[in-house]
Amino acid sequence: MVDETRLFVRLAHTHKPDCVMSLDGTMPKAVPSPDELAVVFGSDEVARYAANCRPIYEDLRRIIGQMSGLAILARLTERREIRDLPELQNCESRWKQASERLSSLSAPAGTVEHKAQLEAALDFCRLAMGTFSEIRGQATLNEMLDLAGLQIKRAYTHLQAASSAKAKLEMVDFSHACCCGR
Amino acid sequence: MADYSIWVLEYCYVPKYHKSGVLYGAHNEGYVKLPYCYVVIKGRDHIAMVDVGYNDKEYGKTLGDRFGVENWRDPKTVLAEIGIRPEDVDTCFISHAHFDHFGNVEDFPNAKFYIQEREISKWVWAMSLPDRMRWMMVAVDPGDIVRGVDLARDRRLVTVDGAMEDVLPGIDLHAAPDSHTWGSMWVTVRNDGKKESEDSWVLAGDLVYQFENLSNNGAVVDVEEMYTPVGLAVGSQANLILATEEMMSQVGYESRRVIPIHEERLNDTFPSRISAEGLRITEICLADGESSKVS
Repeated sequence: MVDETRLFVRLAHTHKPDCVMSLDGTMPKAVPSPDELAVVFGSDEVARYAANCRPIYEDLRRIIGQMSGLAILARLTERREIRDLPELQNCESRWKQASERLSSLSAPAGTVEHKAQLEAALDFCRLAMGTFSEIRGQATLNEMLDLAGLQIKRAYTHLQAASSAKAKLEMVDFSHACCCGR
Repeated sequence: MADYSIWVLEYCYVPKYHKSGVLYGAHNEGYVKLPYCYVVIKGRDHIAMVDVGYNDKEYGKTLGDRFGVENWRDPKTVLAEIGIRPEDVDTCFISHAHFDHFGNVEDFPNAKFYIQEREISKWVWAMSLPDRMRWMMVAVDPGDIVRGVDLARDRRLVTVDGAMEDVLPGIDLHAAPDSHTWGSMWVTVRNDGKKESEDSWVLAGDLVYQFENLSNNGAVVDVEEMYTPVGLAVGSQANLILATEEMMSQVGYESRRVIPIHEERLNDTFPSRISAEGLRITEICLADGESSKVS
């Protein structure tokens, strides 16, 4: 009988090292942001692209944040009910929304690399959610959380690479924050 | 007899911060300088910190360009002023998860981190809310929570549910739910080690920003002095007032023993000096046998 958990772990690791979906691959570097590209390619089309990126970016930012928090709480409480929590279901519906938006996102010249980072972040979020749902018993909890942690970190790194302050694609919402000096 | 030395170390600052953020209701009253600090608590067997600042590698440009944060220095530079290294720190108490308090865990490789469980669980909940309620999740960086995943895996993150006594000898944690954030906490150092301490210090995190939060002119309500909460609260100002009362009761209502870490005028009350980097080091108290780092 096939151990589905181990099969899943193995399959999740079978990308080539240079594949963007490899957990062990080189971490992505920041790609040209929409505001930088606008200088080269003209502002209107790129500005439209950046505006359309924002809800996708926000969805991914939230999914990553939520999954991280859930992973911490699951690890520290050693409770496997994580997959039944409404917050995880919320992640799944947000992921579907982001996926639909991203598939219809038109990437003008020069922004393909930027869009690829969003796609990679989306894919790693899917993998992490899948890992959560693979948690069956106590025995697999830590193993699955280890894997989910790697996938979440990878998703975060890709999203970070696609961040741009001027395009309002930012990890931290500073509005009304205690740090805001202006 | 004092078991611990305590220093407040500035690691950057905002030169002009709107006063209404610091003091509830202080609209159109201009700006104040807002230092960003963390606290070092050094005892015979432990070196602990309250908060760890943020990592300029990822946010410095954003902060510098958009929010006027200046003169950031890394923990290695800042802690060297009192003769310790980041790797010497074994315990970090995170008062809340805002990026400028929880944003630099990687610079403390040997530390165990304590944070209120509610600070994480309610933030996860807030992230699930519709976009129109986005205000409830400001100033927390998902990256800090991502790094928390690694800390939890390595058994270096401890979530606390409410108060916790003697987390280190003579050091207690206290929760202030639904106040500045969902799960803010403060740290009380009973420096004589006694249960009914006569030498307690409260390290308030962002539950108190400046002295006026503890002692403000109360003429408007016909009292001499009153608490006035900080301007920024995800929870409520009422809960901030209740937390302030509890903090003050722990120090016998001696307000100088409640330490606000965003207070520029700590030097009016405690000995301090400015480092060569232009950042203030304030010495709150010294343990027996410890030498001053400001004289």
